[in-house]
Amino acid sequence: MRQLLLVASVVIASAVLVRGQAFYKPDTPKFPQARTWVAQRAKLPPYKAPRTPDGVPDLQGNWNGPIGGGNDDLEEHDYIDVTTPPQESYISDPPDGKVPYTPWALAKRNEIRAGLARGWPGETGQRLYGDPAALCLVGMPRSSFGAQEIVQTRNQVILLTANTYRVIPTDGRAHLSSGAKTFFGNSRGRWEGETLVVDVTGVNGETWIDSAGNFYGPNTHMIERWTRVEPNTIDYQITLEDPTLYTRPWTMTYPKRRQGTGAGANPGGTTAASAVANVNNDRYAKEVWENTCIEGNIDNVAEIKSLGFKWFNPMVP
Amino acid sequence: MKHWIIVLVLAATPAAAQDSSTYTPPKTRDGQPDLQGIWQVLNTASWDIQDHGASLGVPAGHGVVDGNDIPYTPAALAKKQENFKNRQALDPLNKCFLPGVPRVTYLPYPFQIVQQRERIDILHEYSRVIRYIYMNGNPHPPGPIDWFMGDSRGRFDGNTLVVDVIHFNDETWFDRAGNHHSDALHVVERFTPTDRDHMNYEVTIEDPKTFTRPWKMSMPIYRRQEKDAELLEYECGPYLLQEEWNKPNSALFNQR
Repeated sequence: MRQLLLVASVVIASAVLVRGQAFYKPDTPKFPQARTWVAQRAKLPPYKAPRTPDGVPDLQGNWNGPIGGGNDDLEEHDYIDVTTPPQESYISDPPDGKVPYTPWALAKRNEIRAGLARGWPGETGQRLYGDPAALCLVGMPRSSFGAQEIVQTRNQVILLTANTYRVIPTDGRAHLSSGAKTFFGNSRGRWEGETLVVDVTGVNGETWIDSAGNFYGPNTHMIERWTRVEPNTIDYQITLEDPTLYTRPWTMTYPKRRQGTGAGANPGGTTAASAVANVNNDRYAKEVWENTCIEGNIDNVAEIKSLGFKWFNPMVP
Repeated sequence: MKHWIIVLVLAATPAAAQDSSTYTPPKTRDGQPDLQGIWQVLNTASWDIQDHGASLGVPAGHGVVDGNDIPYTPAALAKKQENFKNRQALDPLNKCFLPGVPRVTYLPYPFQIVQQRERIDILHEYSRVIRYIYMNGNPHPPGPIDWFMGDSRGRFDGNTLVVDVIHFNDETWFDRAGNHHSDALHVVERFTPTDRDHMNYEVTIEDPKTFTRPWKMSMPIYRRQEKDAELLEYECGPYLLQEEWNKPNSALFNQR
């Protein structure tokens, strides 16, 4: 009983802080991301996934996010601090692993980064913006970087995370008109052979791609590609296009591994059932329990505000 | 003359009152009655679950409480009246907290039911709230646990989905009028399909710290008919924080 209570309170207290956060030492080996995965993927034999009763590839189950420190900083970096281990870039294209910002957008990103007040090198010491995720703001594309359960119904793919969801219709319906902006945009999926291709428009640009100030905007168009390349691995790719912010389309790539298979288990990551991760072998271990955010963290949010961080508005040149 | 009588009888029979035994819903692949799809209530319970007149921004409405009276203890009734007087400041929904059960069901936003053998998910457009209703044979976990949405365990009784919910906190309300409960709340929901496009939603409320006896509410739930019906987005918390962030005297931040 006490164990269950403890789990419940820990979940509430830690929702805003990075869930399941691991702490890393400076000598942590560099975590592999896109570069290593793309090389591994090229050596895989062809794979055809089992089909659902509706005849499309079966992606269902519980899938982890990427290994390593999460997308704390999506570009390649050395050890920064205990929560930011050395890591390859998530970006598979362009080959240099950098977000291809326009000069204006790069200056903005660097300005944001200098005002994070995280004690990172190169900061001005001034507080500019806090990571919107710390204010319980969730959106695309970051929601895909955590663990997800995939459920497929007829003409829909449903993604469930610890405290939010996406429903992706695959019935060929049109997007909403471009003026209708939302945190998650509107997702329209279609099957191309083994791959679920999801076209996302209408995002509002009010959240970041990582916690280091890399951003997209309200004009950004995202295309995701979900392909089961092994029984227990989904290759996830997301391409961002936005001529107002980037000089060319760019793509992040990483494998999502099926939970419980040990393949690329994420030491610092979360599972969709992470609320009860501490009660493994318990009959409730596979259940997802209440996962609050603003409810238990309004004091933290108030503190972020009182420290002088500004509200992050969408980036439009 | 005979024609007129038939017409009147049909018109006077609300969907919720139709005999559920005459309708057999299709089955899911797992053999459960299929309740999947996008649904929404069409009433004013979100503002006040009892009979009420209109005021600015509040449509008048028939209540959804059986017999209209809620059997509060004297102390709980006094608290309800206090809540009503200060509802703007006190309603937990105005802080964008999780709405609780059954309030989340009759908010004026659509929700989608997704069925798997061992779990029924209700995805709400409102704040992307997810309800996981376990059908896996596990009983409620041992408490005490204080959750906004409680712990939901479901089963089918014929074609009716019966959901037993306990382990609540005392931080949610039933409506904008200040109707409230304690952490001893026990909710039993019954979702009964009455035809292809309607369900009857009956809720039994039990809370000995707040009420002198159990009481019920009931209402129809309607399948959204739009060809392209889908859940969109209402992210309450982010809208509220953005609104309050630059207010010099923000009640949200200053009361902390």
